[in-house]
Amino acid sequence: MNTITTRAPGAPPPDDHRLLPWAPERTGEHTRPPSWEAPPRERRAPPFQPLRFLALPLRLAWRQLRAEKARLASAIAGVMFACVLVFMQLGFRSALFDSATALIQNMRADVFLMHPLTTASFKPETFPRARASQALALPDVQAAVPVYLAQASWRNPENGSKRAVQLIGFDTEAGVMDFPGLAPLVDTLKRADTVAFDARSRPEFGDMTRLLKERGPFEVQIGNRMMEVTGLIEIGPSFGADGNVVLSEVNFRRLIKERQVSAVDLVAIKLKPGADLEATKRRLAELLPRDVVVLSQAELVKWERDYWEQATPIGFIFAFGSLMGLVVGMVIVYQILFSDISGHLREYATLKAMGYTNFFLSRAVLSAALILAVLGFLPGLGLSWLLYNQVGQATFLPLNMTADRATTVFLLIFAMCGLAGLLAMRKLRDADPADMF
Amino acid sequence: MRSIESAPVELRDIGHAYGTGELARPVLRDVNLSVGPGEIVLLTGPSGSGKTTLLTLIGALRAVQQGSATVLGQQLAGAGEKQRVALRRRIGFIFQQHNLLGFLSARQNVAMALEMDGRTSERERLERAGAMLESVGIGDRAESMPANLSGGQRQRVAVARALAGNPGLILADEPTAALDKQSGGEVVRLLRELAKRQGVPILLVTHDPRILDIADRIVAMEDGRITATEAGASAAG
Repeated sequence: MNTITTRAPGAPPPDDHRLLPWAPERTGEHTRPPSWEAPPRERRAPPFQPLRFLALPLRLAWRQLRAEKARLASAIAGVMFACVLVFMQLGFRSALFDSATALIQNMRADVFLMHPLTTASFKPETFPRARASQALALPDVQAAVPVYLAQASWRNPENGSKRAVQLIGFDTEAGVMDFPGLAPLVDTLKRADTVAFDARSRPEFGDMTRLLKERGPFEVQIGNRMMEVTGLIEIGPSFGADGNVVLSEVNFRRLIKERQVSAVDLVAIKLKPGADLEATKRRLAELLPRDVVVLSQAELVKWERDYWEQATPIGFIFAFGSLMGLVVGMVIVYQILFSDISGHLREYATLKAMGYTNFFLSRAVLSAALILAVLGFLPGLGLSWLLYNQVGQATFLPLNMTADRATTVFLLIFAMCGLAGLLAMRKLRDADPADMF
Repeated sequence: MRSIESAPVELRDIGHAYGTGELARPVLRDVNLSVGPGEIVLLTGPSGSGKTTLLTLIGALRAVQQGSATVLGQQLAGAGEKQRVALRRRIGFIFQQHNLLGFLSARQNVAMALEMDGRTSERERLERAGAMLESVGIGDRAESMPANLSGGQRQRVAVARALAGNPGLILADEPTAALDKQSGGEVVRLLRELAKRQGVPILLVTHDPRILDIADRIVAMEDGRITATEAGASAAG
């Protein structure tokens, strides 16, 4: 009687599902009566195939995106825009922090003494010069050099404009602090009123590289004194200082007359080879009064960086900028996906009527979002790389595309598109196959 | 002859209402209908008579509220979304509009009906889709996009798509409404011919008097009830 519903589960399934509609078995030449019963596929779930699970919705999404070139282009442009914005924000953030510490990073010494109230190198608190001599009490300390920091006005030798420049005065002979390019200049800097200029300073100070090549050493007005620029070193501009000038301790005092010799801003210490850095730091901290902190170079860099990150809104500004870029990108992707779904409600409802699940269509929407993430990220990466070079040259900020940052941005963009896809997915509920008739 | 229990569509005392509580508006009352294997049944009636609602209930697109509906052996009263989706895969739908995916070629559109079957390969699906398009007479337009096909051709693609998955039942809602007389007639006759070959029953909602002659049985509805049933022209032959 009821042959269909009672067919044993193990019975061989009828094989006519493979036949084309006009096969003889179907056109009446076959003796078996036509069967409307369910094809066997419904009774035996196919094994789970992860490739099909992802590939088919992905292909559907890609075909749909590809069909509307203008819409695809605007979606890619939106993701690219977000991508470039985030890259630039993160790039600037990191460049600013890097450049904020450019001076410190180029002060190569093992240990530093600093006043605990000093927040950043451009506004130091002074402490007694005697601490440098006291540090020498430890056998592991080879040399301790007091460093004087100050800002003075620099008169551009080309057009006469004035600009504040960072002065770094210390015993250049001691060989404790080794700025790149300093070594060959040690002898000339011993002469009175000589300075070495940071070749990577901002161009507003004058193109010293060219001038030095043309004229040889020449005089520049720093503060109220004419000083001879004898050579170039490399430090790079930072937040606190657009340009740097390195000079001997004596010349520093000639230039900044109000500064007392006994008040120093920093002491750079070189250890003997083989000395234990941590142990020496501990002993220095025990030995010296509380008016100095003992820091390794890495700690000093961190101290400086922390100041810019915490005491200024810079970190927040760039995080906020990145977030805005992501939000704008997300809205664009959401809009594109949403209008794609709205414009194809009938078709999606038809697919549902055909037996496609809401989950399949959700995967298609999410796939579309992730395709956009990849398609937008790649040109965004390229454009950001170009911009890094261009903007880096224009602003003298160290903008570098690192693999770490590219990965971070890709993950952010991927998450952004994924979120947009998840939001747009809700629109799929409106595709109700019952409304199709 | 199969017994009445094994009829592809078996409706008993179906009732349906839109809205809830005092606002409930009944659209179907005490509908009893069965469609036998290979039978072509036309549903006619004025707008609002409930025939489309009946079609969506049979197609498992709507939950059954009242009564019992057995479609292709699946009891729909109390059936969950999962069972209903599974049942839909065994039903071929043809809509008033062709509802083809505009970004897929005719062949790819038909192949979409086969993609849910996890055991076919892409090549098999496309071959099968091409064969289906041949059988509806537009094999030469298989690679065309829907936008480049005429209305009649698009509806033929929709017919091919509905039949591609070897459905146990075809549900059609005014498939000729958007077509002119000639192509509308061609499409339904094609549908009838293919369905008869496969032995698939068809339940077709129509207002179109020109296609009444394809029916084995014509069921008239009014006000949510079946008011008359008559043998169609083709049943005599």
